[in-house]
Amino acid sequence: MHRSDNRGSWEFQPEDTLIEKTGKFPSSLAQANLNGQKKAGSAVDVPSLAYRNEDIMSESWRQHRKHVFVLSEAGKPIYSRYGNEEALASTMGVMMALVSFVQAGGNMIRSIFSDEHTVVFLQKGPLVFVSVSATRQSEQQLRSELLHVYHQIVSMLTQASINRIFERRKNFDLRRLLFGSEKVLDGLLDVMDSDPSFMLSAVQCLPLPSSSRDTLSHILQKAVTPNLVFSFLIANNRLVSVVQEKTVLEDARLKPSDLHLLFNLIRASSAFQAGEIWTPICLPLFNHDCYFYAYVAYLDPPECTVCLVLLSTDKEAFYALAECKRKIEEAFASQNALQWVTNTPLYYVGDIGVANLKHFLYKPSKVLDHHRQLPQFTCPEMEVAYRSQEERIHLLDLYRNMHNRIHSTSRPLKLIYHSAGKETLLAWVTSKFEMFACFTPLITKKSAISELTKLLRWIKKEEERLFICQLPKYSSAPQPGRSSTDRGRSDRPDTSDTGLLSLL
Amino acid sequence: MLMISPRMASGMQEKQYTPSLLSFFIYNPKFGPREGEEEKKILFYHPIEIEKNEKIRNVGLCEAIVQFTRTFCPTKPAKSLHTQKNRQFFHEPEENYWMVMVVRNPMVEKPNKDGKPPTVEYQEEEIIDSVYGSVLQQCYSMYKLFNGTFSRAFEAGGVELLTQKLEKFFYRYLQTLHLQSCDLLDVFGGISFFPLDKMTYLKIQSFVNRVEESLSLVKYTAFLYNDQLIWSGLEQDDMRILYKYLTTSLFPRHTEPELAGRDSPLRPEVAGNLLHYGRFLTGPANLKDPDAKFRFPRIYVNTEDSYEELHLIVYKAMSAAVCFMVNVAVDLNREFCEQLDSLVGPQLTLLASDICEQYNINRRTSGPEKEPQFKFIYFNHMNLAEKSTIHMRKTASVSLTSVHSDLMKILGDINCDFARVDEDEEIIVKAMTDYWVVGKKSDQRELYVILNQKNANLIEVNEEVKRLCATQFNNIFFLD
Repeated sequence: MHRSDNRGSWEFQPEDTLIEKTGKFPSSLAQANLNGQKKAGSAVDVPSLAYRNEDIMSESWRQHRKHVFVLSEAGKPIYSRYGNEEALASTMGVMMALVSFVQAGGNMIRSIFSDEHTVVFLQKGPLVFVSVSATRQSEQQLRSELLHVYHQIVSMLTQASINRIFERRKNFDLRRLLFGSEKVLDGLLDVMDSDPSFMLSAVQCLPLPSSSRDTLSHILQKAVTPNLVFSFLIANNRLVSVVQEKTVLEDARLKPSDLHLLFNLIRASSAFQAGEIWTPICLPLFNHDCYFYAYVAYLDPPECTVCLVLLSTDKEAFYALAECKRKIEEAFASQNALQWVTNTPLYYVGDIGVANLKHFLYKPSKVLDHHRQLPQFTCPEMEVAYRSQEERIHLLDLYRNMHNRIHSTSRPLKLIYHSAGKETLLAWVTSKFEMFACFTPLITKKSAISELTKLLRWIKKEEERLFICQLPKYSSAPQPGRSSTDRGRSDRPDTSDTGLLSLL
Repeated sequence: MLMISPRMASGMQEKQYTPSLLSFFIYNPKFGPREGEEEKKILFYHPIEIEKNEKIRNVGLCEAIVQFTRTFCPTKPAKSLHTQKNRQFFHEPEENYWMVMVVRNPMVEKPNKDGKPPTVEYQEEEIIDSVYGSVLQQCYSMYKLFNGTFSRAFEAGGVELLTQKLEKFFYRYLQTLHLQSCDLLDVFGGISFFPLDKMTYLKIQSFVNRVEESLSLVKYTAFLYNDQLIWSGLEQDDMRILYKYLTTSLFPRHTEPELAGRDSPLRPEVAGNLLHYGRFLTGPANLKDPDAKFRFPRIYVNTEDSYEELHLIVYKAMSAAVCFMVNVAVDLNREFCEQLDSLVGPQLTLLASDICEQYNINRRTSGPEKEPQFKFIYFNHMNLAEKSTIHMRKTASVSLTSVHSDLMKILGDINCDFARVDEDEEIIVKAMTDYWVVGKKSDQRELYVILNQKNANLIEVNEEVKRLCATQFNNIFFLD
């Protein structure tokens, strides 16, 4: 059994900043540190800032694993993952010209393939997204990553305001509104490379005995206030517990993608480390035109690994939510509940007793209610072989390739078994689950099947601990004073309350 | 091409359209570098009816895309462009000469009620890039076989000669492209070899040696039986394109008349020579007619180094066909042809019946056909040997497969995955229809097996394939 040592397995640490395909370690970047201290559990913004000024004519710029560009329909640069986007203005102009040219022919450009790169285009409203990738990921996966970038921008501005801004002024420079948010997008792109949650469209939970989790949820359930829609308890990037408003839960409106964006926003803003934070955030799949107001506080300073996030539709609710947090803290303290979260053991493949299995991803299908309401997956901590960022990304690339084949829109598959030089891989989709597994290379098929069977049995046995099996709703309706006939609609975020929008 | 698939009620039919050629063009940016000169870049454009400015715009788009991808990797620019409605494939066979093929995506037309125009849904994931990219490359190889390189033509007669040659060749060749039936075999561009015992093989070798000695003008020889290759003196790349030409164009043209009935006007003029069954497939159709004019097609081989232009003589007796290649400088007159006919005719006839006999003996001794139950495709990158028990009657017009096209696409996907790394690999998949597909790559050889065993599990499938490898491939593939 291993103690969770203050690091989520999918976070990357200040030490192991990206080792590019060239193998060059950006040592000069590793030294600089904005805040003067390393904070465990935070995304690293510093290297990204240094990439802001990278020379776009250099070989190293060309050799990045994945470029992402965001521009407006007018060809104006908005964001570039590497290099200064202003310096890339003419390159972006070319991209826009390609998009427009094909559009003029009544057609839509999708992608360009060459031996080394795949270029993928996505247009959403007035924004154009381009990915230039040396990863050999499929077009569909690259496009879905671009869609996440779009949604992250929406999470900060809302779709309605983006559309309205550009309707009024085609030449608007969106950087004015996104100033300081580059690191959010940088962080998103980094985490998408090494975190399977995006590929699986599912959430990874902190393994916790169901009794403990129920107790924590119960405490959250009781801390209600009007207009509270979501209460999240997050530890090291894993979901511990989520309580939702009744109709939102019943309609399964919480989508993993929104959750990933929320986590990323919290993680990327180093300001969230200290004290309480109050910020608007839009959940694009929930409702892309309005804001929630998020109250964020860490319950365990100074380690700051356990985070409480309360989302309300009321922008004046700060004090009410602060009061909820106080109640929750009190209740936790009385049972020493925080310890359950910080001390809970994460599991390794070795704990399961399958000798040749190196790693796996397991996602139950939507047959059971709680998985329909919140798609989840589980995977073990990385073993020594996959500790470095580069190796993690390599393993994930292998999984991604199989995921792409098995879920092909044109010729989907039920099973893939791939024996290669360094590993043997398996992908399997059934009506009950989908899973990806990585074995040692010389395993025989007989052994693979028997180990797989052992694994499935183990997962079944540990089910209650690995997944959130009950999704709770608030104990009392968070809307006293509203008529019961309104409840259905008034529990949705108020579309007239646009907060930031009224400033534009 | 339109395929109608009738659906349910009310007589409303969904129409399925297969991929088809939208346009094909060849350009060289160096020929029109300045503004206003764009039209000069275009060396060939199909369809010809397209308005001049649109041609210029389409070529411009390709140039822009190639340039754009060079920003990220100067040496490896774009190979394909995917759009909603079509795919464009790019190939630069010689420096600055670009060939582009635009293929319309397969689509489904769904009828609408109330006289509204039908909705068209494009199927964007169907076309496999490696397949059509190979088809485009083959277009160049075939052109080059009969016309030599672009640069040589330009050197010899400038743009005028080059455009003339391109027009003459591609106008006809493009009509023979059947894009709806391209698949993995197009990626391989392989050669089917005729299985022979050592004795017969030696007989053929000595026959070739004898003929080459007697007819000292012959530079290269190739020997085929039944549309399959036995021996070739040509370089691999040249032989593979010549093989494609012979089996998809020349031989089919001549087999149909042969199969025609005795009194059919199609039946070739048997020269009345009862000594042998040999005749020319290229050159003089009837040696007995002294006034008949004839010429041999010219081919270009070894274009990378010695660059040779040769006459292609194809001579056939029953199921055996020999190709003799002679330097163009030589004038192949009637005398030479008669000499060849009397020398080769009888020997080849004898050899052909020998081979036939030996082949029948082999088939009897090897026992009942174990093969048919295994649907497989095999390809060896080293000698280009290819074998498929899935394709039937591959002719110029159509190659029918005995498996669903989706399964062929899965093979194409596995081949793409194999191409990513150089190691030995094995990929086994179970399709939604419960068919199993096994792909094995070992040491430059690839094998794909399709098993229709719905209730089999992974281990059973593995055992089946092991059996196939043991009987057919003598344990070339070593994986568990």
